[in-house]
Amino acid sequence: MARGLSLYVEGDSPLHRAHPFTKGVLTLSAIAVAFIAPSWAWVVGIGLLVICLQLIAGVFRRFLVVAITLLAPITVLLLIVQGLVNPANRTVVVPAGGFSLYREGLLIALLTAARLVDLIAATFLFSFATRPQDLAEALIQKGLSPRIGYVVQSALQIIPQTLEMVSRIQDAQRARGLETEGRLLTRARAFIPLLLPVVLSSLVATQERAMALDVRGFGLPGARRQRYVLPDSVGQRVLRWALVALVPAAVVSRILGWR
Amino acid sequence: MEVRPVLALRDVRYRYADAEREAIAGVSLTVSAGEWVGVIGPTNAGKSTLCYLAMGLAPHFFGGRLRGELTVFGVDTRRQKVAERSTRVGLLFQNPFTQLSGARERVSEEVAFGPEWHGLPADEVAVRVGEALRLVDLEALAERHPLDLSGGQLQRLALASLLVMRPELLLLDEPTSQLDPAGTNALLQVLAGLHRSGTTIVMVEQKLEAVAALCPRVVALADGRVIADGPPEAVFADPAVEESTGLPAYARLAKAAGLPPPWPVTVEAAEKAFHRA
Amino acid sequence: MNLLNAFKVRLNTLAIVLIPVCIGIDWAGRSIDKALNLPVFLDSIGTVLGGILAGPWVGALSGFVANFINAGTVDPIAGWYSIVSVGIGFAAGIAGYLGWHKRPGAWVGVWLMVFLTASIISTPINIGLFSGQSGVWFGDGIYTGLVKAGLPTWIAAYGDEASVDIIDKLVTVLVAIFIYQGLPRRYRSLFRMYEPADSEGEERAPARA
Repeated sequence: MARGLSLYVEGDSPLHRAHPFTKGVLTLSAIAVAFIAPSWAWVVGIGLLVICLQLIAGVFRRFLVVAITLLAPITVLLLIVQGLVNPANRTVVVPAGGFSLYREGLLIALLTAARLVDLIAATFLFSFATRPQDLAEALIQKGLSPRIGYVVQSALQIIPQTLEMVSRIQDAQRARGLETEGRLLTRARAFIPLLLPVVLSSLVATQERAMALDVRGFGLPGARRQRYVLPDSVGQRVLRWALVALVPAAVVSRILGWR
Repeated sequence: MEVRPVLALRDVRYRYADAEREAIAGVSLTVSAGEWVGVIGPTNAGKSTLCYLAMGLAPHFFGGRLRGELTVFGVDTRRQKVAERSTRVGLLFQNPFTQLSGARERVSEEVAFGPEWHGLPADEVAVRVGEALRLVDLEALAERHPLDLSGGQLQRLALASLLVMRPELLLLDEPTSQLDPAGTNALLQVLAGLHRSGTTIVMVEQKLEAVAALCPRVVALADGRVIADGPPEAVFADPAVEESTGLPAYARLAKAAGLPPPWPVTVEAAEKAFHRA
Repeated sequence: MNLLNAFKVRLNTLAIVLIPVCIGIDWAGRSIDKALNLPVFLDSIGTVLGGILAGPWVGALSGFVANFINAGTVDPIAGWYSIVSVGIGFAAGIAGYLGWHKRPGAWVGVWLMVFLTASIISTPINIGLFSGQSGVWFGDGIYTGLVKAGLPTWIAAYGDEASVDIIDKLVTVLVAIFIYQGLPRRYRSLFRMYEPADSEGEERAPARA
């Protein structure tokens, strides 16, 4: 049966050992600065930094696959649309009458795509090197309601179970003659016969699950805040604050005319 | 010397929200410490509702209307929430799968789920988890993912998750109905051990042979009322019980063979009865 | 009917258990949608259903966590639209509280509320991440047309997102309501977590944590 859902890759790099908040702040700062910084140098610089970290954590190849899959269609669209109608357009590069592509728009499109690469890279850096339960534990230790922590942990198990159920129901319905290929209308008609059984199955046990949780003391206010220790250090705390400070610094620089 | 009963109902009536008839329609019952009471009856007799009442799920979880006096360890159930009660009372449901928290990836962590919600310190939790797993004979599987376990093992895991809180009263709502014979036997053996060490058990069961063999006291319900209450032989000699619920196989056999009531309800008693006849 | 009552819901254990189920349904919807190769997104059916069944908080949390997990496991870009999912869940919850999913014809209200919330919240995020584009061919074509017609980019951006959302949310809401109708009656009333506006005391009180 399917296990918990996560991108986590087992490993023992300094990044793996870092506290989840350190990685989280690193990711968010990198993304924020990448989008605030006006020039290519910064965007590329951040990208390279993140990729180096990925290489350290051993996750670069997986990231590459995902990044290309996600970004290829969007980049094409960006190039076309911004090349056509970006407000800063002046210089024609591909002459085609009313559908000419302009240099400024194309460059902006590429800059946007590069920023998105940074975004995906930074996020995957976090996802690949952090166990979901470590993140949940860190948040709960900092004050997140343990019931919300439970929601996340439970969802991570329920999602793959539900997807498996979808697959089983698809097979069963197809065996009963449900058409899932062909014209749009045919395919669209198959949607509810496939989803409704999944919903029914999923809801069936909710009342019992809730009762069983209550019986075990779920929701008691004195819940233990710490299940296990997440290694942290002064150095990491300082690093986190420094990374956080980068963001308003970048915003201010931008306002003061950073080019 | 008066000992406070573990579970005391006095003229209790309970109706679920949006229901027409009362699920429990005037039940008075007392269970003392250390008893093992088997609760039998046809469908909709109110057996599960009795468990829910003792646990507090009725009325706290279901809403509905509760009348009469109902105390568990002397505390009125209306005053205490279900989660607060869970240090002294446990309730095991039928379905092994739906009792999993769904948020833990190892058997040992699953058992620790309850104590964590109660705020117990980590070393205490570790001790209790080991203890509970030993009681249900699942120590060998402590590091496995819960979904790797069979139905019977999962039901024992669910029981361990309750025992970890060291409850004095254990309620069971048809705990073996979804288990195969091997799983059933394993679970009943654990319960027998708990009974020997003094846990009070109230067990709703359809397997009349098991009830007759294990429970020194049987309470028969029908239509939300108690129709018989006593040792198994006496209860199964009552024609009202036979009509609403049935008889254990041995009793049916003895009756069919023409033996006079009270009929034997266990293997050993049947053997003796047939010898004499 | 006091609208504020919709927000006075306390999240009891039943609500907490429902949320991951709705998240699973969100993902199931998306998976079936992809398997059938349909030209819509349909990744919020669970969120809308949760809102209709159990109110704004369940809807909002289902949307948020579903999106958050998606960001961490499949699509990091989608994570930045989490607030949109929260909005969708809230909107569905309010519409559900007002009973719009039950009265004939009032489903249009559910659709409009979800559509407006989604498109309005998504647009600034599109502007920040994608220079105003939605990343969908159909919508971006509309964007191009609108800009060429002389409209400011932020209006074009809204037009882009709205043109995609209007159909997508229509289908999402219709499917969610259809599924709601297909549920056994006891499920439909089981999850209504609101403080009853016309409380009769303990009689009708649902579970309290």
